[in-house]
Amino acid sequence: MLQFTLKRFALAALILVVAVTVMFLMIRAVPGDPVSIMLGPRATPELKARLISEMGLDRSIPEQLMLYFGGLLRGDLGVDVFSGREVTTIVFEQLPHTLRLIFSAILWSAVLGIGLGCYAAAHPNTWIDRVAATLSVSFIAAPAFVVALLSLLLFAVHLQWFPAIGVGDGFWDTAWHLVLPSFAIGLSWVGYIARLVRASMLEVMGESHIRTARAFGLSERRIIGIYALRIAILPVVTVIGVGMGFLLSSAVFTEIVFARPGLGKLVIDSITTRNYPIVMGAVLVSTALFVISTAIADLINAILDPRARSGT
Amino acid sequence: MRLEWKKAPVGRRSFLKGATALGAASMLPMRAMAQDDGVLRIRNYGDLSTMDPAHSVGVVDETIHASVYNKLIQYTPGTEWGWQMDAAAMIEQGDATHINFALRDDIGFTNGHGAMTAEDVKFSFERIIADATGSPNKPDMGPLSHVEVTGEREGTIVLKDPFAPLWTIALPYITGNIVSKAATEAAGGRIGIDPVAESGPYLRTSWVAKEKTVLTRNPDWKGEAPAWDSIEILPIDDESTAEIAFDSDEIDLTRVSLGSVERYRADVPNGGTLVENPSLFYVWLGMNLDHPKLQNQKLRQAIQYAIDVPSILQAAYFGAVEPSTGIIAPGLAGNRPASLVPAAADFAKAAELLAESGETNVSLTLDVLNKTEFTTTAQVIQATLAQIGITLEINLLESGAFWSSGDNEDLQLVLNRFSMAPDPSYATAWFTTEQAGIWNWERFRNDEFDQLHAAASAETDVAKRDEMYRRAQDLMEESGAYRFITHEATPVVHSSRITPALRPDGLPLLRYFGKA
Repeated sequence: MLQFTLKRFALAALILVVAVTVMFLMIRAVPGDPVSIMLGPRATPELKARLISEMGLDRSIPEQLMLYFGGLLRGDLGVDVFSGREVTTIVFEQLPHTLRLIFSAILWSAVLGIGLGCYAAAHPNTWIDRVAATLSVSFIAAPAFVVALLSLLLFAVHLQWFPAIGVGDGFWDTAWHLVLPSFAIGLSWVGYIARLVRASMLEVMGESHIRTARAFGLSERRIIGIYALRIAILPVVTVIGVGMGFLLSSAVFTEIVFARPGLGKLVIDSITTRNYPIVMGAVLVSTALFVISTAIADLINAILDPRARSGT
Repeated sequence: MRLEWKKAPVGRRSFLKGATALGAASMLPMRAMAQDDGVLRIRNYGDLSTMDPAHSVGVVDETIHASVYNKLIQYTPGTEWGWQMDAAAMIEQGDATHINFALRDDIGFTNGHGAMTAEDVKFSFERIIADATGSPNKPDMGPLSHVEVTGEREGTIVLKDPFAPLWTIALPYITGNIVSKAATEAAGGRIGIDPVAESGPYLRTSWVAKEKTVLTRNPDWKGEAPAWDSIEILPIDDESTAEIAFDSDEIDLTRVSLGSVERYRADVPNGGTLVENPSLFYVWLGMNLDHPKLQNQKLRQAIQYAIDVPSILQAAYFGAVEPSTGIIAPGLAGNRPASLVPAAADFAKAAELLAESGETNVSLTLDVLNKTEFTTTAQVIQATLAQIGITLEINLLESGAFWSSGDNEDLQLVLNRFSMAPDPSYATAWFTTEQAGIWNWERFRNDEFDQLHAAASAETDVAKRDEMYRRAQDLMEESGAYRFITHEATPVVHSSRITPALRPDGLPLLRYFGKA
């Protein structure tokens, strides 16, 4: 298990290096002069030259890349030359908002999706199963931005049950502000997870160890909850791990629509202004999040299913 | 296979009770709405970037700075541009290059930095023009030489040359904010995201990145008491989101999109009001005079006459804005009553000009920022130019790439929009020969225009300035490189519980906001 864990994290580190390098090169390939954009039209040539030097843009691309990785190894993501603030500070003050949004969406969609999937699998080909299937497919088909806008108009503007914008203060207020954005990006995942769990459960329920458990007289609830779900949930864990990437991208528009701070909005704002240090810092952290979540998903799979450790 | 599930021990009555309670609870408004709690909540379209006026990036920062710092003079809220005294008890033009002032004696800085003195004014203005500061706002101070301190609260602003925009931009806008010399020097000469000392009617008590900035009433403020206990400024860049926030009663004031004006004209939710202000922005179609395809003046004039501005305003701006006559908006010196080329297209004249040009099979490109109003405008232009046989290819660019088009020598036609401060010199500054290939993307070079720009900045006679700027815009239009489209508009909605104080272009002056 230790060897598996080490291998998995070494691979994660390699992915991170490749992703950061690609992003570094891509952002510099995009047309647009960062200095003119950041300083605006009234900046003098001297001021522009000073900023170019401060940002290290007068060096060659390979040199800039080496410097960036050098800083990274020292835990230094650089300084936002415009505000003079540490990029680490800027990125990490936005990160919790995005994490809260993503994890709340995963949590409620997993709970509901697994429940719905189990229930549908327990009643295959009945009207309950058909209703669950219809709901699941509808949820998957509903684009998150449409759900976001409709839920805003209904629950925030018309009924005024939930806030339309912001993140709130304190635990309950924060949770209250999370309801609509989390609903918007989690809804399609409910359908996806429900379909996945149903299919996986039906397959597992036909396996011999389940028949053996039945022969021993174990209750159906115990069989499903302890023996079947443990195996059936494996693909869900993997999908959720990979899904972190999708949820991170969903968070971008959700943060814009609900005027929430967060990593996605930070990246968009920084790319628009060609604020290289912040773009790189934010991309590094989101890539790390994605890589770590997939690695953790693999580890959970390995814990739940020993076959995954040996790669069989 | 059939699985057995135990039924939950919930009876019919219990279920009905629970459902009724849930239903009743759901009818209650469960979130904090804009209430009469002494807190004003407004939307800013961006987040605060610095508390240092020298490094302010524009209106977003200035909305906050103007509430926590004082200036010698401030813009007057209302529909006409003007200024009123703020920190100055007296201010007068001694001669063309000397402005004498005396400060009020009741303004002090926070954090124990004492009363505001003429030394603070000198420090604040001179640090803007000092090379060491690296302020991008330095050009706003024009030919400022220095400030002479003649008494504890008296001084003289000394200019190298006469400079009319001193009264319209330098003093009442970004560069006019007075900071504490002692506090700024103690902070190493640069103010960051947190203020080092404030003096205005409000204090900036907190800032959470991309979430909100909170101002609270300054207890030591001796001027007219501000109306609100605190002001929450929420950075919302998306206009639709801001409108939803206003409709759901979560903010008291926001600019709304032109596409929503018709809806708000019919009904503003929660008893609010729509205020339609003109804007200072200017939108135009430019033609690169250096491009080989655009050397023929008759061809350029044909394009000018073939573009139908009313159709553009209807399609892209929902008929909520007026055509412009140049780059200087109504209300400012130099605004022309009419452009040389009428707003409505004259296809017969355009075809005639094209024939005179001798050009055939004309095919051009139009670079456009990827925003809805510009893409729609580009499509209308494409359709109208097609009527005289000119083929147009539209290049959509995202903002970073678009705003770096200055050095793009292949640029042919470009649809552009510049922001503006309330002085005509701010508009003409970008079209001088010196700016060719930087912000003058048309590469318009005209000696008379350059001379007019320089002379009008130094002219203090309003009537003469007006005439000079009108002539400057005539020259631009005569070159055939410009088709002026609109100044847009600034529609603002506000809740019924506030009395907003807006500049003539619709931007908020928070320190003057009142309660209804």
